[in-house]
Amino acid sequence: MTKVWHYDGTSGIRHEPDCIVVAGGFRLEGPGCTPDVIAWGQLVPRGVKNGDLIYGRTGDRGWQVGFSHPVPNAILSHLPSPQNYGRWVDRFGLWRAGAAFAGLSAIALFIGFKAPDWVAPFVPQSWERNLGDAMIGDFGGRFCNGPGSRAALDALTTRIAPDSADLEIQIANIAMVNAVALPGGKVVIFRGLLQESKNPDELAGVLGHEIGHVRNRDVMQALLRQLGLSVLLGGINSDATGYVSALISSTYSRDAEARADIYSIASMQKAGVSPLSTANFFGRLAEGEKKLGKASAALGYIGSHPVSADREKAYRTSARKGTIFTPAITPEQWAAILDSCHNDPNVEEDDGSFF
Amino acid sequence: MGVGNQDQTALAFEGNWRDMIPIALTNLFLTIVTLGFYRFWATTRERQYLWSKTRFIDDTFEWTGTGRELFFGFLIVLFLFGLPFLLINLVLQGLVLQGQQGVAGLMITALNFLLLYLVGVAMFRGLRYRLSRTYWHGIHGGCDNGGWSYGWAWSWKTVAAYFTLALMIPWSMTSLWKQRWSAMSFGPHQFRSNPEWGSLMPRYLIAWFSPWLALILIVVFGFMAAIGGAAVASASGAESTPTLALGIGLLLVFAFYVLIPLAALFYYSVYMREVIGTMSLSTLDFEFTARTKDWVKLFLGNIGLYLLAAVAAAIPVLALGLLANFADLQPGQNPFAGSLLTLAAFALIFAVPFGLVATFVRFRNWSFFVRHLEAVGEINLSALTQSQTRELTQGEGLLDAFDMGAM
Repeated sequence: MTKVWHYDGTSGIRHEPDCIVVAGGFRLEGPGCTPDVIAWGQLVPRGVKNGDLIYGRTGDRGWQVGFSHPVPNAILSHLPSPQNYGRWVDRFGLWRAGAAFAGLSAIALFIGFKAPDWVAPFVPQSWERNLGDAMIGDFGGRFCNGPGSRAALDALTTRIAPDSADLEIQIANIAMVNAVALPGGKVVIFRGLLQESKNPDELAGVLGHEIGHVRNRDVMQALLRQLGLSVLLGGINSDATGYVSALISSTYSRDAEARADIYSIASMQKAGVSPLSTANFFGRLAEGEKKLGKASAALGYIGSHPVSADREKAYRTSARKGTIFTPAITPEQWAAILDSCHNDPNVEEDDGSFF
Repeated sequence: MGVGNQDQTALAFEGNWRDMIPIALTNLFLTIVTLGFYRFWATTRERQYLWSKTRFIDDTFEWTGTGRELFFGFLIVLFLFGLPFLLINLVLQGLVLQGQQGVAGLMITALNFLLLYLVGVAMFRGLRYRLSRTYWHGIHGGCDNGGWSYGWAWSWKTVAAYFTLALMIPWSMTSLWKQRWSAMSFGPHQFRSNPEWGSLMPRYLIAWFSPWLALILIVVFGFMAAIGGAAVASASGAESTPTLALGIGLLLVFAFYVLIPLAALFYYSVYMREVIGTMSLSTLDFEFTARTKDWVKLFLGNIGLYLLAAVAAAIPVLALGLLANFADLQPGQNPFAGSLLTLAAFALIFAVPFGLVATFVRFRNWSFFVRHLEAVGEINLSALTQSQTRELTQGEGLLDAFDMGAM
């Protein structure tokens, strides 16, 4: 028989009954206590208060019994051990549980970072196309469609990528020196890039590179990664253009860039378009970066496609001796592309509001 | 039994910050290795300690909430609100790019209203959850109202208060406090709350005027310095702009870090005294005794702790030369693009000191609150029967999602 204190969870009166151990449990005997037997298994540890061990009963948070120190062994041996960190951690011990959690977290992080690469190839093209249409639409009316430019652009595209029926190549009336592959096989060339390029072969290399990203499903990877990050970082925000901006400024991994270059170079080789112009173009952009300073370059082509000496070299050395190269398109077609925005009366003005 | 008289206060906090150290350290460790998922259980352990050290008359409170229910609350909010918001974001994106700025703008406005509404609901439900998990003598508190109507009251009163040049804020704060607490109960007794906003207005007007006062001070100073500077400059031919800029800078710092916060605390202290002082539960009357100087001390201490954390984080950052990644950082560029390890190192270096300090800030806030809370009156323990309010099954997920604190 042991004195305990007890709240019954129906009134605030503190009882001080005797605890009588019976088979499988105990009974509380005293004024205000019901005579039913409480099984040991029903007890839930509720911590220690002023040295007293406190237990509740499953399913009844108000019911409490407190055993004062020292608790007789006949009772103590039946009491469930107190909870501290939470059930799992208590079971395995702090350090072992901690190590296991750390291992699981490392695996989860690894999967999280790799998942976009694994998942992207399995996203159906039709989904990606719908997503691309929903996200990009007509770019707020900024796509240029001057006389003859559509036909010229198509000619350039079919020249380097004959299987390009599913692609949508557009010129956007935006002064940025950049080109970007967006979801759904959309490749957007910004007006600024056209102004920087000296001949259609330069554009062919850049276009081939972006088509490479499309074919390698790099865009879907980047989008998935962006989505994942925004979920992780609690990205409930109303910055609607965020995803497209992020895609434009996102840098693909070195590998993805190299693979897109390989695709571009191989396409040009097959088509008999000289890769030397693209190499020259990269050279000029790199020079320009030095002049402009990094800040302005970061938002453009160089920011999202780091131009390294290696890349320039890859294009330059791919030109085999004895190959006969022809211009990618005719001078007339090139002129139509260059003036596409200027000659399009309906295109949205570039007011710098897009980015 | 009678409680609370001149000599003895009915409420006391008997916790010790040294007892918190093992709790804080193990919580932080487990939170880091679980990538933050342990925080629900960490919160529970922290509250168990704080509640168990808060004595009311002859016994302490007991926190009976569990980490699991907080975690489920978080999951429910994630699926009910997080994912839909993400999808809406994608739709919005498409609308903007397709030139439908008008529709997108409307949607964003509607979304912001919905968020405001949910903040109100979350505050209500958070309070309700905490009361329902707080036990004393085996009795708990709670409420049967879901807080959905409170969400509307909160939304329109907040908007209305700001539409009157923010002059109606004391009215919205007190009437919302009253609505919130009048819905809550402990045991069989309903809380009663009857704050008046008129008596808060003098101090509120001072707080309201303080940014304008700062602006006037700066303009007057600038004007005088310009006149004085012009005179000096014409006499000596020297440039006076640096001193002028320095003076205005100092005034701005003074205004933002001293004048305006002080004025805000000056109001907030009278607000808390009013709303708690006019609250009662059955035959118990409550009182809150913290004066402005107590609040200032609380805030200075907390700011000191955070500064300490900042220094503790700065030392390894500088020692390891981690800032090199940020030198020459361009817009749109990710400083961690190259190295996951650097990112992890950064996260750790900041998580450890700030995570630890945050625990002690919560400890100080709780201790401050209990030390200044008084209850006077009679309690009839046999009449203090169990609360008949519905048991909640999940925790304060919504409140957690909006990242709002316990006070």
